[in-house]
Amino acid sequence: MTRDLQLLILALATFVVFVMGAAILGLGRGTGYVLHGWLIAAAAGWGLLKVIGHWSDPEPVVPFEYQDRVIKVGVLACFAWGVFGFTIGDVLAWQLAIPDLNGDMAGSNFGRIRPMHTTAVIFGFGGNALIATSFYVVQRTSRARLAGELLPWFVLGGYNLFVVLAVSGYPFGITQSKEYAEPEWYADLILLVTWVGYFTLYMRTLARRVEPHIYVANWYYLGFIVVIAMLHVVNNLAVPVSISVPKSYPIFAGVQDAMTQWWYGHNAVGFLLTAGFLGMMYYFLPKAAERPIYSYRMSILGFWGITFLYLWAGSHHLHYTALPDWVQYLGMTMSIILLVPSWGTVFNGLLTLNGAWDKVRTDPALRFMMVAILFYGLTTFEGSFMALRSVNTLSHYTDWTVGHVHAGALGWVAFMTFGSMYKMVPWVWKRDGIYSLRLEAWHFWLALSGTLIYVGAMWNSGITQSLMWQTYEPSGVFTYAFIDTVDAMIPYYWMRAIGGLLYLIGALIGAYNIAMTVRGARRPEDGTEAGPLAQPAE
Amino acid sequence: MISEPHDFVLYLSKTWGAVYLLGVFLLAAAWIYWPKRRFVYDRAAQSPLGSEDIQR
Repeated sequence: MTRDLQLLILALATFVVFVMGAAILGLGRGTGYVLHGWLIAAAAGWGLLKVIGHWSDPEPVVPFEYQDRVIKVGVLACFAWGVFGFTIGDVLAWQLAIPDLNGDMAGSNFGRIRPMHTTAVIFGFGGNALIATSFYVVQRTSRARLAGELLPWFVLGGYNLFVVLAVSGYPFGITQSKEYAEPEWYADLILLVTWVGYFTLYMRTLARRVEPHIYVANWYYLGFIVVIAMLHVVNNLAVPVSISVPKSYPIFAGVQDAMTQWWYGHNAVGFLLTAGFLGMMYYFLPKAAERPIYSYRMSILGFWGITFLYLWAGSHHLHYTALPDWVQYLGMTMSIILLVPSWGTVFNGLLTLNGAWDKVRTDPALRFMMVAILFYGLTTFEGSFMALRSVNTLSHYTDWTVGHVHAGALGWVAFMTFGSMYKMVPWVWKRDGIYSLRLEAWHFWLALSGTLIYVGAMWNSGITQSLMWQTYEPSGVFTYAFIDTVDAMIPYYWMRAIGGLLYLIGALIGAYNIAMTVRGARRPEDGTEAGPLAQPAE
Repeated sequence: MISEPHDFVLYLSKTWGAVYLLGVFLLAAAWIYWPKRRFVYDRAAQSPLGSEDIQR
């Protein structure tokens, strides 16, 4: 593809987005929606000017080095969204423990700020971590620079514009009320354009690779990119009411809509929060342990297993609903089989550390990754177990589900991200090492304590809730009123808020440590650098 | 005669679905563990550990 053609496609795509933004700001009604029109038009207009400027300049000499500047911005965006999302999450936790903290304000009620938390952490923190690390991994394993000078910036910029539109829309009530797919049609279209760019960039970079074989981490990243595109398009098929309002209606209705939504929802977990982060693991774990993957072939078999099986498992979210029984049983069965490739991956990760366990004691980044793998094993076992219909009668609609999700999100996704970032940041910024190993260790222990307290509290609260709901008097009436179950949750909600606070403090320390590393500072060696780690035995 | 997509998918899932999945799994496993591919995969596993200097 010639440079002119690339710039033409980029200019056309940006122009279409600009026109959409201009139409929304000109014809839209409602503060939030018009504000979004301005945001879209400003971002796309700025991008369009960049493309035109680039076009009119003589063709620049592309430096013979990796394109790391876009990765740096992705890392900073990841931590910024992470701190924001964790903070909102803990505010929510405190509101549930002490409801008066809500302040009786519509804009800060649970329904509006809960999706701000989930969007910021899943798409802002997790998504930026995936984009940044995937750009790093695809270049290093291909020994080739990203195949485009402007496109990587448009991918990162377009993606973050989508997240900003999503998060800022909720306080104004702009949502299509689909869990993890809340943004309305115009934000979805921007993500679609961005994602096509991401896929094209990734494929074209792989096509430039020097190595004949595509390293397995790229398989997982590509699985994430391709399947998320498919899920995003199908689950967001909707008809906008008009350009003047953000509202749209999905083309599916009733149980078909529910099935499409949970096919999307479960696979967003499967391919964004699992496959993408497995790609991260398969590059950064061997790199940190300085050992190859225990079984490379197992990693490929695991890839096909996870890819084939995850797509069938979504219906376990709809047990005992109007969905036909056979679809529920199909989802349940696939969820149980899914345990095989998932635990194959867990053992593959842990056995990679054979011969490098001493590093787990002294290197907090590797310890983050090791614990992430343990949480991955725990969460996938728990997920398969909860997918059993009989277990689901106990767990569904209770806090157990919240505990399960956070074991995966805090323990697997975020731990793998922190471990990888502590390795990648000094490499990308060309520093000798992280600013402070001691702070890194503090981050690890605070995050681990917070996660264990959070998840333990939610397991207890969920099972208590369910047992109270299902306790009957001999006459057949409920033993407990619903408010009794709410009262019984209060101690657990306090524990959750405290656990979340510890996690947030850890993340703030992590963000400070990363910021200081970026600035180039380095704590002087004082012989106790790795504290509070246990010192290896002499 | 099977006319509805729903009935067709139901029929497949209750009859040949498991056989199909087993077949796909065996094919994938045979492809991956075929002895001639061992060299390719062993070499690929070393990829993150070697020199990562840009070449293109």
